[in-house]
Order: sequence, then structure tokens, then C-alpha cells
Amino acid sequence: MKLVSIPEEKFETYRYDAMFDCYKWDPEFYDDFTLAKQVLVLTEEEYKEVANLTETLELETRKAEEFLNNHLSCAKTLALPKKINQELKKMKNYDPQKHIRLMRYDFHPTIDGTWAVSEVNSDVPGGFAEASLLPKLAIKTLDENLYDSIDFGDFLARTIQKKIKPNGTIMFVHCTSYSDDRQVMQYLGDKMESLGFHSLYGAVEHIDFKEKKAISVLDGHMGDIDFIFRFTPLEWLKDIRPKTWSGYFDTITPSCNHPIAIFAQTKRFPLLWNLLEKNHLTFDTWKKLLPDTIEVKEAKGKEGYLYKPACGRVGEKISIKEACRGKEYQEILNDVKKHPKQYIAQKKFISKPLKDIEGKEFHVCLGSYTIDGKHAGFYARISETPRIDSHAKDIPVLIERNKKNERKRNL
Amino acid sequence: MSGKEIYKIWAPTNKKWTDWVRPVPFIGIDHPKEIKEFLDFTIPYNDSIKKQNDVAILIDLPGGDSIKRGIQLAKLGFRPIPIFNGTNPNMGTMSTTNNAIIEPFLIWGASELKKIPLEKDAPPVFLLDSNRLCRYKENRFVFDNSWDVYPQDLPSAEYFLKNGITKMIVIGNDIAKDLKKILYRFQTKNLQILFTNGYENPKAIKIKKVKIDDL
Repeated sequence: MKLVSIPEEKFETYRYDAMFDCYKWDPEFYDDFTLAKQVLVLTEEEYKEVANLTETLELETRKAEEFLNNHLSCAKTLALPKKINQELKKMKNYDPQKHIRLMRYDFHPTIDGTWAVSEVNSDVPGGFAEASLLPKLAIKTLDENLYDSIDFGDFLARTIQKKIKPNGTIMFVHCTSYSDDRQVMQYLGDKMESLGFHSLYGAVEHIDFKEKKAISVLDGHMGDIDFIFRFTPLEWLKDIRPKTWSGYFDTITPSCNHPIAIFAQTKRFPLLWNLLEKNHLTFDTWKKLLPDTIEVKEAKGKEGYLYKPACGRVGEKISIKEACRGKEYQEILNDVKKHPKQYIAQKKFISKPLKDIEGKEFHVCLGSYTIDGKHAGFYARISETPRIDSHAKDIPVLIERNKKNERKRNL
Repeated sequence: MSGKEIYKIWAPTNKKWTDWVRPVPFIGIDHPKEIKEFLDFTIPYNDSIKKQNDVAILIDLPGGDSIKRGIQLAKLGFRPIPIFNGTNPNMGTMSTTNNAIIEPFLIWGASELKKIPLEKDAPPVFLLDSNRLCRYKENRFVFDNSWDVYPQDLPSAEYFLKNGITKMIVIGNDIAKDLKKILYRFQTKNLQILFTNGYENPKAIKIKKVKIDDL
């Protein structure tokens, strides 16, 4: 794995093209670009290794969540919000064949030469255009015939296409006030439009459910929906009024992701593994890759553990002292003390930074997607600190062409 | 001209502050919508603000007015930096906020900007749409495309100070809730905040303390 710099003289054009041709609508965050000035290059071997590990992790996760769906009493340890918990029993009719299961696993290279996985983005993973169009733009910008890329969006679009009728209507459910969310939905929506589907952009409350079928109530576009693509995190639903959202839990309209994703979304998921293993489920790959994860109270007096919020996203509120800004570290510790069940303690791993051409070090988070069990692409971010959070930069992932085998990858 | 070409006029390379220009409404330009309102492109006359190199301006007026005032200030030597960030609904859907109306003003503004010679390090005037906070929904079927401005949408106080900006003048009818959170942070880092309704001379103000949870 290495960092290859985008030539300085080409970077401005690359940034304009990323905004206008690759749905990168959030180009600046405080005083920094959100786009890295490098690309991340994997060897063919690294690509295959991560792809295989991702598929194995996905299988372990999927079996566990389907088990939990049938044995809800085992899920108590997850400490899910009460309002969400009340809806889980509706998911009994969940049919994995009907829906699309999309996940993204976050891999980190470590100083001992192995991979660590920090989490699975089980519910609403994003970064679609960055995992599809940005690598192509990077290849064009580098103008070297050395790399391939995986088109995640194409894989996802083709999977959706197989699940619904031709020319069907898809509702892209997101927080409509955030352009950062809309850029993800718009990319996929435009892609589905190009395949002949009708894309609607709405919020959670723009869907009603009649006889378990999703109906759009979006002004000017009322009628049947053939597919729900949800990008609003499940735990946010509980605060939405009126409470029409409980229909998401037992709808027979195909969706991505179905609320079954909540089991693995919480960072407390690993706390269940020992119990689930007694029920003949295995977590061998998870246990090999995820640092030791325990209850907050069990970490008392133990060295080398950090705290993570159970419902955290984009790396926020993780207590990596050297990566926290201002009073943040102490504020996290105070919050952990107040709400220990809303956090987990996890053994800290030492991330191995990569150096760019100038010798500057960057930590890497390599997000690896699966769609219905198959590896589907990469989305990566790099950061000058070991914590990959909102200040991290998006970086396209390319795969170095194997010189012995110059065939073009079909993905 | 495409949205990208118009964006490049507002955000040319190698000019200070232009990295913060948000692309969202420029992307909308490539998908034109029917605008029913009468559009008045008259640049307002106003002499309440003079160019000073240690001053940044933030205009928080209804979208078109914000852009027109930005062009007026460009003629005084400020660089307008649009940071509009609202999206549009599906065609035929009623929405809380008319974000699309900004697009023809950005097209007009680009043609004006081309005629104005601006210094490479001209001080910035950030353009906001005060209608962004229109979030009244007659019913739940309406598309809520109201939006907030966040601290990360602007340079940090440290960046302003490092680049010689010590004062920020806000032009608007009042200081909106989302803006208050940003300005309070600036104030705590010793950026002086001034306010004007657009006609009177700017006056120094103190932003009341904002709760930590809201920051």
C-alpha cells in the first residue's frame, strides 16, 4: 500500500472536476481541503486479501444479525434506544433475498504488519461517488497506465436493478437539509435514472406504509414506491414525528438497508459474541481483526483502552488523546462517566502511517464494501492524526496492475 | 456557460478565500428550473462600508439581495465568496425554501465579476441567504430544504487572524441562530464582531454566550 501524489499543477483541476463531475459538494472543512493531494494504491495481493477478509466478516455479521432477529432476548446487551427496541419485533418477516445488505468495514494497517478493523458501517455507509467516480478521475489525472479501480456505484446500481421492476420508483430517504447527504443520494439517484428508474428525494416522513407496502407522500409525487434507499441513520428515526417510521421495520418493499442493520451498527455488537458463540455462531475473523472490546466498567484500571460511543459515526467522540482537540478529551471522559452504556472500551491499536513523496506521514482508514455478501469496492480517508474523523481527507483507492497479468479488471 | 465555468469565475485558482466557495447552487445551474419571480438585478447604492484590509464581511440577506450586495462590495475591492448550501427538491415538489432562485443571480453575478479587477488577496465578503432558515412546513409532504451554516463552512478564527482579518462585519436584518454559534466562537478568539442593517454604519456588538452543547 502506498501514497502516490497528484501532480501539484494538476490538483486544482482535479478538485474542480471532483466537485462538478464526482459529486464532491463539500470541498472544504474549516481551513482544509476535504480531498487528499494523494491517491492510495493497493497491490493486487493487498486488494485480494482485504476483499476476502471483508467477505468473511460480512458472512459472520449477517449470520449473527439474522440469529438476533429471531432471538431478540439475546440483543439486550446492545442497549439500543428504547423506541427502536420496541420496533425490532416487527422484523420477523425480514427476508434477506428481498432486500439489499450493504456494509462497509474500516481497515487500518498496524505497526505489526497486520490489519485492524475498527468498525463496520452497517446501517448507512456513505462515500458512494468517492468509491466510484473519484478513482476514475484520479487515474485520468495521473495519466499513467498502471492502475485499475473498482466501480462501487456500478455494482450497487446493478444489484438494485435486479431487485425491482424496470422503470420502478426509488425513494432516496435522507436528511434533506444536509447537502452532504444529498450528494451521496444524488449520485446514486442519477445513476438509477440513467438505467431508466425514477428517483425521488425525500425524508423519512415522506413514506407511508399501507399493508406493509411503501407509498410516497412527497408533495407532487404521491404513489407506489418500488425500492427504499435509506441514508438517514436508524437511531435518528426515533425522534421523528409523526411516527410513521415504524413501517420501515416490517415493510415488504425492498430496501437498502433494512433496519436489521442496527444490530451490527452499534459498537456494542462485539459484547454479544461470547453469548452468540454458544449458539454455534463464529466470529473468528472478527476476533482476529477487531481489537479487544469490553464494557466501560471492565476497562477500569486496564492500560491501553480507549472509549468509543456505541452510536458514533465518522470517528467522532473517540477518546484518542493525541487526536482530540482542545477540551474534547476531557469532555469525552466526562460523558463516558455519565453514560457508560452508551460507550464501549476498546484496546487501542497502533496505526502504521504511510509516507507521501515529501515524507509526510498519514494514517489510513480503508473502507471496504460488501453488497449482499460480495466485496464491492473501497472508500478511504487519510489523516495526519491516528483518529480518522471529520478532519480526515477523502482519498481515491486504486489497484496497481499486476505486471504479470495485465488484464483489465471487470469490476 | 456551465455551472462549472460560472463557479470558476466566482472561485478562480490562486486567489485568497476562494477555496470556501460552495459548489452546490452552481451544480444546480446545469439543471435549470422554472423561476416565476421577477428578478431585479439592480446593484444597490450604499456607502456605509469602506474597504479595509483587516475586515471580512458576512452578508446575511435574502439570496438575490445578498449576491447583489456582494457585487457592490466587489466594486469596492472585496472578494465575494458565496457559501450557499441548499439543495432543490424533485421537479413539482413544494419545498420550504426557494434555493433555486439563487442560481440566476450567480449567473448574473459572474458576468459582473468578470468586469471587476480584484486584488489576489482582496478581503472576503461571504454571501449567505437569510431565507435558508425558512423551515415552516404546511404539512409533512413538503420537502424541507432549509439549511444551516456551520462553523466548518467558514475559515476558522485562527485562519482569519493569521491572514490579517481582525474584524467581521455582519450585514443583515438580525443575527440568525446558526450564525450566532459561529460568531460566538470568533468572538472568543478575539475577532471583533460588528453589525449593520446595511444602511447604517457598522457598530461593534457582543454575541451572548452560547451553550457549549450548541457549539
